[in-house]
Amino acid sequence: MRIRLLAFASAGDVLGSPETDLEVPAGTRVAELGAVLTQRWPALAPLWPRLAVAVDGELARPDAPLAENSEVALLPPVSGG
Amino acid sequence: MFAALTEEAIAAEAVVARVAHPSRGAVVLFLGTVRNRHDERQVVSIHYAAYRPLAERVLARIAAELEAEHQGAVAIVHRVGEVAAGQASVAIAVAAPHRAAAYAASRQALERLKREAPIWKREHYAGGESAWREEESLVPGR
Repeated sequence: MRIRLLAFASAGDVLGSPETDLEVPAGTRVAELGAVLTQRWPALAPLWPRLAVAVDGELARPDAPLAENSEVALLPPVSGG
Repeated sequence: MFAALTEEAIAAEAVVARVAHPSRGAVVLFLGTVRNRHDERQVVSIHYAAYRPLAERVLARIAAELEAEHQGAVAIVHRVGEVAAGQASVAIAVAAPHRAAAYAASRQALERLKREAPIWKREHYAGGESAWREEESLVPGR
């Protein structure tokens, strides 16, 4: 299935683009996304433990499932203010 | 309650006007501005990036929860895009019947914003280099 991947700050630098369409196995859960992404972008591996994931605009738990056309956002540690 | 991201320069008086009311005798305005140094480096500007839909909801949630806790009114405005050193990147206005609640809510709003809002700063240094600042993980416990 296809998901839309948004990547912010250093995660965007690693992916080389703020938005990427990505094919992932049907039923992939948030926690399993780490393996999928770091295989394609190995430089993401050191970032992954502190990377939060939002699905369709809300922070998602590790066991949350992705769906066709989900908007998945990779959120590195924040620094607003 | 008012919460917004903006590409425009922050007009502090307009943020205060969002919360002021004759029943609220204490108004606290906090402005966060871009500091011109980070450690030994000269900072020329900061680029603020945000995951806008979530950031706007998080700021609104913070403002609403603090209003309920402190019986006051809270407005939060945060810049996105390029902000030059010395310019405001965030404004928080709180109005409450008395000063203790207004001061407390103002401080809590900023501390929560820094930990919870999906907003990132990229510092631009004199000489042309730049770097993301990444500080507070949104992953619980990290």
